[in-house]
Amino acid sequence: MSQKTYKPKDAPTLSPEVKVDEPREAVSSEERLQIERPSLRDWMDLRLGWYGFVRKNLDEPMPAGVGWWQTLGNLLMTLLVFQFITGFALAMYYSPSPDSAHASVKHLTYEVGLGSFIRGLHSWGSTVIVIAVVLHMLRVFFWGSYKKPRELTWVVGVIIFQVILGFSFTGYLLPWDQKAYWATVVGTRIAATIPVVGHALLVFIRGGEEVGALTLTRFYSFHVMLLPASLILFTFLHLYLVRRHHIAGPVTPAKGAPVPFYPNQLFKDAIVLLFGVGLLIYLAVALPPGLEAIADPTGTDFSPRPEWYFLGLYELLKVMPSGWEVVATVIIPTGITIGMFALPWLDRSKSRHPAKRQWIIMSGFAAILLIGLMTLKGILETPPEHKKSEATLAESNDIPKAEATQLESLGE
Amino acid sequence: MPKDNLNQDNIEISRRKMMGLVVGVINLGLIGAIVGPMVGFAAAPLGNKRKSRWVELMDESRIKPGEVKEVNYSLLVVDGYHEVEQKFTVFLRRSEEDVICIDPACTHLGCRVDYHADQHKFICPCHGGVFDDEGTNKSGPPPKPLERHPVKVEAGKIWISREV
Ligand code: HEM
Ligand code: FES
Repeated sequence: MSQKTYKPKDAPTLSPEVKVDEPREAVSSEERLQIERPSLRDWMDLRLGWYGFVRKNLDEPMPAGVGWWQTLGNLLMTLLVFQFITGFALAMYYSPSPDSAHASVKHLTYEVGLGSFIRGLHSWGSTVIVIAVVLHMLRVFFWGSYKKPRELTWVVGVIIFQVILGFSFTGYLLPWDQKAYWATVVGTRIAATIPVVGHALLVFIRGGEEVGALTLTRFYSFHVMLLPASLILFTFLHLYLVRRHHIAGPVTPAKGAPVPFYPNQLFKDAIVLLFGVGLLIYLAVALPPGLEAIADPTGTDFSPRPEWYFLGLYELLKVMPSGWEVVATVIIPTGITIGMFALPWLDRSKSRHPAKRQWIIMSGFAAILLIGLMTLKGILETPPEHKKSEATLAESNDIPKAEATQLESLGE
Repeated sequence: MPKDNLNQDNIEISRRKMMGLVVGVINLGLIGAIVGPMVGFAAAPLGNKRKSRWVELMDESRIKPGEVKEVNYSLLVVDGYHEVEQKFTVFLRRSEEDVICIDPACTHLGCRVDYHADQHKFICPCHGGVFDDEGTNKSGPPPKPLERHPVKVEAGKIWISREV
């Protein structure tokens, strides 16, 4: 039934059993061009070659044993499309200037119809994407699917991962509220801890000495131009490579012949999409996005915190002794990143079986445990709600009150 | 004749090589023509230098020896494409001899420290840096003391200087 859907009327019937690895042109293009008066659909197909393309992808062989774990890539793709669409919509109302950014976000969230929902989809989308990307990477890691010949599929994946983190770092500033402002003050200062070039890099990232108008336009330009363009490029490269090398089967080959992508795998993909996107919509409705007081460089009663998936790094910064911060800000993150890029070459074993590459699996577990525990610690220590900061323009003479709770948590 | 032919081929090959080389050079030129100005444009803020400005904060009589006071003030500063009234906070600390002005930006990663009067300490809410009431780093991640701004007392008024 699937095959009928994509077959021009005059194409001869294919044998029902699908032979994999063999490009199938039902009729040579030479022959098909001779069709006297093609239907509109045939005509489109003859000009675009759509039929062959769709067919080829629907017939993509899935080795036996491929299943639910391989649906995450498709979920990611869909979530990315959602991000693009909601981002495009938000940009219709957003204005990237310290004078107006906060007001424009407030307006679009609370006054524009469906504003809270669209913004909720976009901000929860970033969270769900990070979770899905991490699961996708873990599955590739434990399956050893990054091994020959899929090294570059993995490398491009690591680049995509960096781009996604870039998106969330730049996007976080855009609402220009307290949370946004302070997370960016601290986040950009990380660059300044790099020896020698640190300060120049800081000024370059901020567009000046302080986080201000030029930081906002800079981040906006990255968030809506450079990062989306690179994400599209690398995602297509990734998908091209995935198709070129085909999906790897289970580490111990399962019995049975490969089956075409359609309908079995596509069905599983659709079920996962139903739940993944369902969860996203639920989150956007049930937990609508908030907005804190406008960015205030003098505000006292605010303790800056980054987005939850940077909390691991944040906690790491806390435990680093004075003078060692470059270890937490640069050395460990760079080390992990280099390790990820180099993984296909660090892991020399021929076999993809976890038992045959113990030290890689062990270091993977160690890294996951470290990042997971640190993130968990950060989440558990997050204070429930921030107090609104009351900004006074003129000089104020009140000496700040001691905050007993904060002192307690410091163990003083 | 075969010899001639060979020569022809060689000429053809070097001609092709030459043209390939020219295409390569042109392409490099094109990349340079867009990347060079682009980097210069994006990095332009690196050339901006900050200037010191003196600001009058308050009457000297309003701070007693041994006291630490938080002072908010605002300045008209140029922020990129516009001039804005920007708010700043500093801490003044008066001892028997003089007045010092401490900047609240934590020297670790720039969060704003709070003064806890009962303990005579500055505490950073971010990663738990602690400084004494002169701004010297005591514990936690901060690598150096809080920055100070120059202070002068003239005709009973406290002035500080800061770079904007
Ligand atoms: C938003 C980003 C991403 C999208 C849209 C995406 C998409 C996909 C899709 C559709 C597949 C095939 C189905 C599947 O295995 O789930 C796949 C496979 C793969 N992905 Fe990704 N991916 C993304 C990010 C990443 C990242 C961050 C990595 C690793 C660092 C990665 C590494 C791989 C590898 C090595 C494969 C081949 C797996 C195999 O052959 O078994 N991907 N990706
Ligand atoms: S920014 Fe103050 S301790 Fe990290």
